Amino acid sequence: MKFRTLSILVFLGICLAVVAVFRILITRDVDGSISLAFPEEQFLIYRLVPLTAALIVGAGLGVSGMGLQVLLRNPLASPWILGLSSGAGLGVMGNLYIEHTYGSTFLGGQSASAIVGAIGALTLVYVLSRRRGGIDPMTMVLVGVVISVLCGAGIMILQHAVPMGLRGSFTTWLMGSLPEIESWWRLGILGAITLACITSIAWRGPTLDAACLSDDEATSVGVDLPKIRRKLFVASSVLAAIGVILAGPIAFVGLIAPHGARILIGGSHRILTITTAMSGALLLVCADDIRQLVDLGSGRLQIGIVTSVFGGVVFLALLLRGKGRI
Amino acid sequence: MRLHISDIGVRFNRITALRGVHASVDGGKIIAVLGPNASGKTTLLRTIAGLLVPSSGKITLDGIRVDRMSPHDRASKISWVPRIAEVAGSFTIRRVVELGRYALGPSLVRVDDALSQVDLLDRAESLWHTGSAGMRQRTAFARALAQRTPGGLLVLDEPSSALDLQHLQSMGTLLRRCASEGDIVIAALHDIAFAMEIADEVLVLKEGQVVLAGQVDAVLTPSSLGGVFGVDLTWAMDESGKRHLVLP
Repeated sequence: MKFRTLSILVFLGICLAVVAVFRILITRDVDGSISLAFPEEQFLIYRLVPLTAALIVGAGLGVSGMGLQVLLRNPLASPWILGLSSGAGLGVMGNLYIEHTYGSTFLGGQSASAIVGAIGALTLVYVLSRRRGGIDPMTMVLVGVVISVLCGAGIMILQHAVPMGLRGSFTTWLMGSLPEIESWWRLGILGAITLACITSIAWRGPTLDAACLSDDEATSVGVDLPKIRRKLFVASSVLAAIGVILAGPIAFVGLIAPHGARILIGGSHRILTITTAMSGALLLVCADDIRQLVDLGSGRLQIGIVTSVFGGVVFLALLLRGKGRI
Repeated sequence: MRLHISDIGVRFNRITALRGVHASVDGGKIIAVLGPNASGKTTLLRTIAGLLVPSSGKITLDGIRVDRMSPHDRASKISWVPRIAEVAGSFTIRRVVELGRYALGPSLVRVDDALSQVDLLDRAESLWHTGSAGMRQRTAFARALAQRTPGGLLVLDEPSSALDLQHLQSMGTLLRRCASEGDIVIAALHDIAFAMEIADEVLVLKEGQVVLAGQVDAVLTPSSLGGVFGVDLTWAMDESGKRHLVLP
């Protein structure tokens, strides 16, 4: 590993440690004042759980975005381009509707219904994007957009059919939030799956590099394109789905983290995957830190709002820095 | 090494791109594929390179069907240079050339040698997407040179369309060297003078069919090519007494 690469990874690691410690120490008192203090033992878990979730979700969304950008040959690809977030939204809204209409639901909680919706949307996108035995990137982008629009329409129909109060619950979910109460075994399992997916993608770094050539060129140097695209689709979808399970739809991390990592480290995917995972985790923990500091009079901001505002500004800056090329 | 093209046809939905193409080529030969726009040159080359499965007929390399080779086998026997190279991502020119060794294992010597042959060694650490069209074309050629196994098949789709005269001449020399090491070199070309300069044999396509095939001197005449392209051609003599086909 080159010295520069190692230095960047160490630097990211230090930044991550600093923002993580800050997340544990930052305390907002009842009067709204902010201080840095180690929390009492019984409150520590309420900071460690969202911090762990932020690390898992941030790293997963970042690498998911990177994988989809290679799969779809599109720098604007992010986990939500395949209809995953709107599918998850339709699942949650459908669950609320069933619960309201029939008094109970077979889908379970918000996470379960979100994952059912997300898997449904992804399956549709995958089936409709297949051409000659493989995934066609352009078709997949277009199908993803159409499925997103259709799921959005479904959400609006269901919102129209439920009372106003229930819509508020859905809107809160839509903003995304890190859990403060979550079992460690569940976090452990989701973290292990995230790590396995990230390792699997990093392991295939050279194949991802070659897959960035045109289809003919990639095939001619020996890449089995249908196979690597299938694997990327599955791994990226699982990572994004874990993000939805833990935090709902968190915008922009999957778009910004890969581009930021590319600027730092270049395009070689083995090391880029690791850098992207660290950048994604750093972004989300940072966003969680920021939201602890901001209170607009109605409580702390939802983390999805912070990532959207922060991500939008950063993305614009990257775009302007690259003179329109990202 | 022997390439055998046996009665291949390629259809895209209702459009017939190629039909009834036959040819046999032995190692050490350079074949130029000529023809008007949309005559099927790229389709033929992609099929020969195993990138497109023919609708009918078969193409074999030493008796093995190219469309049934494993990705590794194909990469070790067939190198491909596209008309327009594409790279989605931030890669240096060196990294793009290194990708030619993806299936065959890394080789710094082969990559440096390929970069040097196309005159890109001093630009190797530049980002690919900042290069000119000519540099990108030379990078694609370098990648194929780094990948090729002597005695294999080198397929090039209009590899010289963005090259200046110096690099065009250099490419001709390199292709001849590849052929002298036993490669079969097949290149689609629009530059008839370049084709006459480097090729041993030509295949001329029109509307998806081979209309002329054979030795360069026998096939490339004003009347035969003029008929294919629908223009009047004539011979012109240069100072060294060499004949060239030109528009009058």
